[in-house]
Amino acid sequence: MAVDQFDLNAGQRAERKTLLTVVEWTEGVGTTATQEREILGTRTEDSSVEFNPDIQTTTDIRGNNYTDLNKVQPEQQFDPYLVLGGSKLGAKLHDIMLRNALSELNQFTVYLITSYLTTTVEGHKVYRTQKQTECTITYDSLGGDVNVNFPITVHFSNKSTNGYVNKLSDDFTFTADVTV
Amino acid sequence: MDKNQAIINFICQCPQIESNPLFFNFIHGKEDNKQIITQSNEKILNKNFINGDVLKRYTISLIDFKSVAYNAIVKETGYVDENVEDMAEVQDLIDWVETQKDARNFPDFGEDCIIDDMQVLTENPNLNGVDTNVSPALAKYSISIQVDYIDTSKRIWK
Repeated sequence: MAVDQFDLNAGQRAERKTLLTVVEWTEGVGTTATQEREILGTRTEDSSVEFNPDIQTTTDIRGNNYTDLNKVQPEQQFDPYLVLGGSKLGAKLHDIMLRNALSELNQFTVYLITSYLTTTVEGHKVYRTQKQTECTITYDSLGGDVNVNFPITVHFSNKSTNGYVNKLSDDFTFTADVTV
Repeated sequence: MDKNQAIINFICQCPQIESNPLFFNFIHGKEDNKQIITQSNEKILNKNFINGDVLKRYTISLIDFKSVAYNAIVKETGYVDENVEDMAEVQDLIDWVETQKDARNFPDFGEDCIIDDMQVLTENPNLNGVDTNVSPALAKYSISIQVDYIDTSKRIWK
């Protein structure tokens, strides 16, 4: 299978805003349940997916190194993550924090949208995306100086599906790749 | 919306400004005339966020012209010196802006801008000098108003 090429001119750098982390969760139960989505990164100046590779390196008697990659434990911290009016996810996490309902923190679906990597499906531009289910979001602290900061960390589950989204807004549709 | 027009519309809500002539950048100084002077803001101070938003700054100076009295202070209880009174009137402008800030009544910079903060840069007015070429001489008091806003126009997530 051919590797998708970056949707960039030769030498052009991808702007940071083209890498998006979007969280999805279900609000409510039963027939009244609704699906909510929110992009992360409002008022955050710098945030990266840290893969935290667990590696083991051995060196033979000739001095050659052999590195085994046992696993990766990706996570992404958002600091600052301000208490902002209109943030549904912020309000939800804050509510979980107040109730100390820790078991509710590991039921998030996270979409990592690499919008600098596009393809065309049925004549429409779509954006390569990795969907990860059962991700955990932890809140790291609460406080700060002038404004209330509530930094969070997204812990990716590695239960991932690759595919694409059809638009860059909350009402996108995710389509998984079909393996032939 | 043009930010200069937005700040004019906002400032005109102030009772003192409403009842006195307001000028933009250019003025013939006269008692109680007010003047907005735009300031340039360094782009290097902009703060970029990972979602494409940019925190920007808009600053103006508001000049208030007051006639000057060269009278010694009368040391009697209840007497208020004219110059002190004038200064207090300019101080009222600062207090008005601070009140609007607390009430989150901000200039309307349009739908692509979210006002983050607005503040007067000094606790009290600055006396910039006295124009003695006019009669009566005019004192120039100034305050600087700084508006921090998030420019959301570069977002790709709609």
